[in-house]
Amino acid sequence: MTASLLFDILVTGLITGGIYALVALGLNLQYGLMRVLNVAHGEFLMLGAYVTYSLHTGWGANPLLTLLVTGPAAFVAGLVLHRLLYARVLAQAEAREAIESRSLLLSFGLLFVLQNTALLVWSADLQGYSYLATPLRVLGAVFPANRVLAAVVALGLSIAFYVYLRRSLVGKAIRALMEESEGAQLVGVNLTRLHGICFGLGVAMAAVTGSLISMLFELTPFVGLPYTVTALVVVILGGLGNVAGSLLAALLLGVVETVGVYLASSDIRLISSYAVLSLILILKPAGLFGR
Amino acid sequence: MRIRRRDFLKATGGGAAGAVLRGRAWAQAKPIRIGYTLSATGPYSVGAGITQGTGYALWLEQVNAKGGLAVKGEGRRSVEYVTIDDRSEIETAVRFYEKLMGDDKVDLILPPWGTAMNFAVAPVANKYGYPMIGPTVSSNKLKELSFPYFYAILQQPDACMGAFTGFLKELKGQGKVSKVGVAYVNDLFGIEMHGSLTATLKDTGLEIVDTKSYPLGVKDLSPVLKGFKAAGADVFLGLTYPPDNILAASQAKEVDFNPPVYLAAVGTAFPFYRDRFKGAEGVSGIAGWNPKMKYPGAREYYEAHVKKHQKEPDRWASAFAYGSLQILERCVGEVGLDRKKIKEMLDATEFQTVAGPIKFAKGVNVTTPGMVGQWQKGEFEIIWPKALATAPAIIPKPAWA
Repeated sequence: MTASLLFDILVTGLITGGIYALVALGLNLQYGLMRVLNVAHGEFLMLGAYVTYSLHTGWGANPLLTLLVTGPAAFVAGLVLHRLLYARVLAQAEAREAIESRSLLLSFGLLFVLQNTALLVWSADLQGYSYLATPLRVLGAVFPANRVLAAVVALGLSIAFYVYLRRSLVGKAIRALMEESEGAQLVGVNLTRLHGICFGLGVAMAAVTGSLISMLFELTPFVGLPYTVTALVVVILGGLGNVAGSLLAALLLGVVETVGVYLASSDIRLISSYAVLSLILILKPAGLFGR
Repeated sequence: MRIRRRDFLKATGGGAAGAVLRGRAWAQAKPIRIGYTLSATGPYSVGAGITQGTGYALWLEQVNAKGGLAVKGEGRRSVEYVTIDDRSEIETAVRFYEKLMGDDKVDLILPPWGTAMNFAVAPVANKYGYPMIGPTVSSNKLKELSFPYFYAILQQPDACMGAFTGFLKELKGQGKVSKVGVAYVNDLFGIEMHGSLTATLKDTGLEIVDTKSYPLGVKDLSPVLKGFKAAGADVFLGLTYPPDNILAASQAKEVDFNPPVYLAAVGTAFPFYRDRFKGAEGVSGIAGWNPKMKYPGAREYYEAHVKKHQKEPDRWASAFAYGSLQILERCVGEVGLDRKKIKEMLDATEFQTVAGPIKFAKGVNVTTPGMVGQWQKGEFEIIWPKALATAPAIIPKPAWA
């Protein structure tokens, strides 16, 4: 294996991993913090992608600038959904298991509603556009410029969020809730309000990831689900509620998958990611960075 | 039910009207029912919506505008569809076809979209003795399975790949290409096409420098394309489905891979593909039809399709989907709704359709040869075989737009 091939694999893997990171962070906020298993996570990604697509093709908006629309809009939508649906489920459930199963059913319903809404609005036809579809040459290797851009933005947002969690008061409260829910409430952390914010942030991250990947892939109303699955793998790999863990796990998964693809074939992508997951679950059931 | 009958009697004047009038009223009251499922949701919905659903809708509108479908000995009867969305689920489709033929006893059926779906439904149609003409099935296994009531109107893998290799062999002879990189989607369609390709490519003198398969729903083909580029492939040959086809083309540009010949399978012939890649000038793929072909009704079909749906039919299977309805129309006109007689007629007759003359032998269309098309200034020109060509091939392919 030559150095240039190694470089190629590493960067391609980090590109894939960067996108995984953002979508997984959103899910981790919901699942890690609240035990809300939101299987409609990928559907918010799909909606974000479609909104960017429509803004770009309809009004010529720069896909990157549409993040300023999809992010806040999705955050508000998440707040509303949390207030209308999830807050009730969370309030009524006594045990963590009950929250998981009820939120699972609820989000399955949401998944179908969102998919069919997209179907009515955008139809089932493949839709997409080209943005920055040019080769980017770095040290003798060639990478698609739009993928590099999407990954850089996704990673940047992920790291920014991580810093926010570490530094800001809200971030500290969220971490406190993740680590010790009852203790945090005792010192005055407002559980329902923070849950709403986290849910909104999770939805916003999915939608923003969607905006980014709309530059890379064709859209149908059914593109979301595979991302939910990948995000779940990353969240479990990195450890529930562990933000830094999710970040590293996403990058690791991206690199492992790419190595598999280069050394064998694209068919091995899913196999390699599940192999890593199984291995980690056997060796470290709480996840790579789980407590 | 009772109210309906009363309304009906009122409408026909209590049976006092003459026999002719009553006959006509009957035609309005008892339409011919044709059943099918198509995928309006799920992964198959993209192809189903472009290739098949539009043709079904157009034909229905046209035939009812003429006063209905002419049935031998009965005059014209209006047509209605009995249909659901099969959600791209094979078991849903099979259940609904069971119901259509077993319980509802519809007059005729039309096929669902896609090779796998047709495979699943063909035995059911066969069991109930309903002729079914599949416009979106391409599989060599059909011949082995032999369902007498199933007819494949589209070119099968051997024909499609025969055209690819025939075309490449000529280019090889002219010294224009020599090294082929093959990528195929790892499902029934891709695997069968790949099998046919390797069989026909064997004695052409072309070298396969790399072969890579990938799963349906693949998200990154750049490693594959970079590999081909590094191996010096001057032919990209992708046995694709639509989403991966589009991914491959966008990434080929992104990793700066522009081989002199770029061939792909399902999706290339979609007008959407041309629009997506700013004309897709010089991109080639499996073809079967274009509006320039001198078949009776071809141009009219194209214009009616654009007028009704505000989108063009694709340049491979769309015309065959519509053509299969023309075939059924002619059969019903000549032998009525007796499905056994329709089958006998399908076995024995050469039909003229917008997709050209079609004759079935052992359930497979043996008239239409495999074809290669190439996007040139907005039209998917047929460039191979030469007898059917609507334009000469552009080699090498121009740079990606």
